[in-house]
Amino acid sequence: MNHKMELTIGWLYPTLMSTYGDRGNAICLKRRCEWRGYTVTVMPLDQNATAVDLRQVDLLVGGGAQDRQQEIVMRDLRGAKAEALREKIDNGTPGVFTCGAPQLLAHYYEPALGQRIEGLGLFDFVSVHPGPNARRCIGNLVIEVTATRLAQELTAMIGSTPYVIGFENHGGRTKLGQVEPLGRVVQGLGNNGEDGTEGAFYQNAIATYSHGPVLPKNPFLADWLLQTALQQKYQEPILLAPLDDTLATQAREAMFKRLRVSVPIVAKQR
Amino acid sequence: MSKTIQLIDRLRLGLAVLTAKTVTFIVRSLRLGAASVLPGEIARRIHPQLLHLLSCQVKQGIILIAGTNGKTTTSLLLCTMLERQGWRVAHNATGANLENGLITALLENTNPIGQLNADYAILEVDENVVPKVLQPIQPRIILCLNLFRDQLDRYGEVDTISQRWAKAIAPLPLETIVIPNADDPTLSSMGQQLRQRVLFFGLREPKQYLDEIPHAVDSIYCPSCGHSLEYQGVYLSHLGDFHCPSCGFHKGQLAIDSREWPQILIGLYNKYNTLAAVLAAQQLGVDDVTIRDTIANFQAAFGRAEELEVKGKHVRILLSKNPVGMNETIRAVNQAGGQTTLLVLNDRIPDGTDVSWIWDVDTEKLVERGGTLVVSGDRVYDMALRLRYSQQDDNNGLQLIVKEDLQAAIATALEHTPANETLHILPTYSAMLEVREVLTGRKIL
Repeated sequence: MNHKMELTIGWLYPTLMSTYGDRGNAICLKRRCEWRGYTVTVMPLDQNATAVDLRQVDLLVGGGAQDRQQEIVMRDLRGAKAEALREKIDNGTPGVFTCGAPQLLAHYYEPALGQRIEGLGLFDFVSVHPGPNARRCIGNLVIEVTATRLAQELTAMIGSTPYVIGFENHGGRTKLGQVEPLGRVVQGLGNNGEDGTEGAFYQNAIATYSHGPVLPKNPFLADWLLQTALQQKYQEPILLAPLDDTLATQAREAMFKRLRVSVPIVAKQR
Repeated sequence: MSKTIQLIDRLRLGLAVLTAKTVTFIVRSLRLGAASVLPGEIARRIHPQLLHLLSCQVKQGIILIAGTNGKTTTSLLLCTMLERQGWRVAHNATGANLENGLITALLENTNPIGQLNADYAILEVDENVVPKVLQPIQPRIILCLNLFRDQLDRYGEVDTISQRWAKAIAPLPLETIVIPNADDPTLSSMGQQLRQRVLFFGLREPKQYLDEIPHAVDSIYCPSCGHSLEYQGVYLSHLGDFHCPSCGFHKGQLAIDSREWPQILIGLYNKYNTLAAVLAAQQLGVDDVTIRDTIANFQAAFGRAEELEVKGKHVRILLSKNPVGMNETIRAVNQAGGQTTLLVLNDRIPDGTDVSWIWDVDTEKLVERGGTLVVSGDRVYDMALRLRYSQQDDNNGLQLIVKEDLQAAIATALEHTPANETLHILPTYSAMLEVREVLTGRKIL
């Protein structure tokens, strides 16, 4: 069956929103499809994209933006396009949204200078920049995924507790409402440096402050997104062929060791 | 320019200078380092206005050089031009470009009673420090080379940097000469708003346009109205021939014709560095013959396209510390046709602790050629992973070798370099220092 499968990855505003290597997530998903022999298309969803384009995608990727770019995006993401994106995420299209992207899917973002930028209100949280002189949240970030369903599915997939490793680099502080956090901070600051939460999880959408980018070094997260997208599209159980993730495992081990964080090593995927 | 200094200041200045010189002497005698920062730091504590008191003694004025890429090379080139013209020049040649580094460089040219002897000072200054030092330094010329995404973990975002520069330049005397890169939209816009004397440099060479806009682009939106800029062509990253279809903003009027000038070293970025230095040198009265002569005989700075012979093999070190710089070094490596490349990625403070930027580099262009890629550094596996994900086809003959240990990596890379070829080494900043130490200290030989 596999050779017939196709996947379309929608990449939100690739030129405006890919500030800290976030395109690595799109590259990672694309290559993991190609290495397994699936046909994959990465569709840039920039200012020229339409609501029709948005409705075609099976998986979504969105990265960070500078404040001014974020404003341009928010001005563009209105009306039919905003509606299409809302439907997609509400109906469970999987996606990974880093740093600035979750802010535009949430209630609002208040930048260091200038006006509050309203978001789509899908994620129940708000983000506020504490001002131009406030310290940025910067450094290596390790979290344990705690969002209930995601944690269960990932644990079943890898056979151990899922730890995500990345790098955070953000000025804004996020306060969650009723939405479930993605995980709990083991190392680093996370959403706001106060409540120990990191990111958010809504339907199948993952919001995180973890750059790195997050997927190449946490390949089980990439595979969970791909598997979920394929299962939704083809309405049948999908078992992804294993890939050689030795380099990713070595990269994780090296950083865990340096940070003196003791976590179980991800076992071979089944 | 020279100004009278009050007696009490003169005494404190003398004390500060004497202390700094003692510190330099001790640091160097005990071989603790190059003493390019510490003396400045200590002297500044003794006299907080030290930077200003030293700066105002420079006879003909100070040239300040700022920008993300090319500061060191441009400074060295301009310095050489001025020296060949017979001037005495103070220069922070080691690249220590924070306030203490600038003070240390000036102190090097100061006698024990605090009298500075230099016709010119060329100071390369860190992007973030520019607003802080403009008032005390009162530069005669400000060179603004470019603004790219670099070390965002320290600086935040590029838009805010140019705004802070513009604000800090605004109160300077109107005869201050500002030399911005016209091909950089943000700097073009800044230059067009200044009341000072502005001279733009840039390219007029459509033959050098890239086929497509690379991914690692920071600013393709109009700095005045936010509309997408239209490019007739892109030279590198977001540098090119542009205009805004909405508000009419366009590239600044060039004060130099790039087609009339040769360039130093390899790579288009060095053409920009050359043009900036030429324009500044002309303003300071250096004659064109001396300028051309300096370009023709220019030797690379430390690790910037620096060439070495090791074990009978040719090695070229190309500092690669941000997406734009690394894309350009990859272009240069591919043009040179080398089959073996060593990449060394560190994440220490001088490199920037965030290595996410490697995903903005088009490493695909290095990988798709095949050959041997050796990887090392503190973040060796992150770099290896980036290269692995650059590989669409497993069978393009690429050999990826991962060596945690830098000496082993260099030895392996040399072994894989045929006798008549060049080994290209692409290190981040601290990695470059280590690589040079291994290669010139003959640690592995």
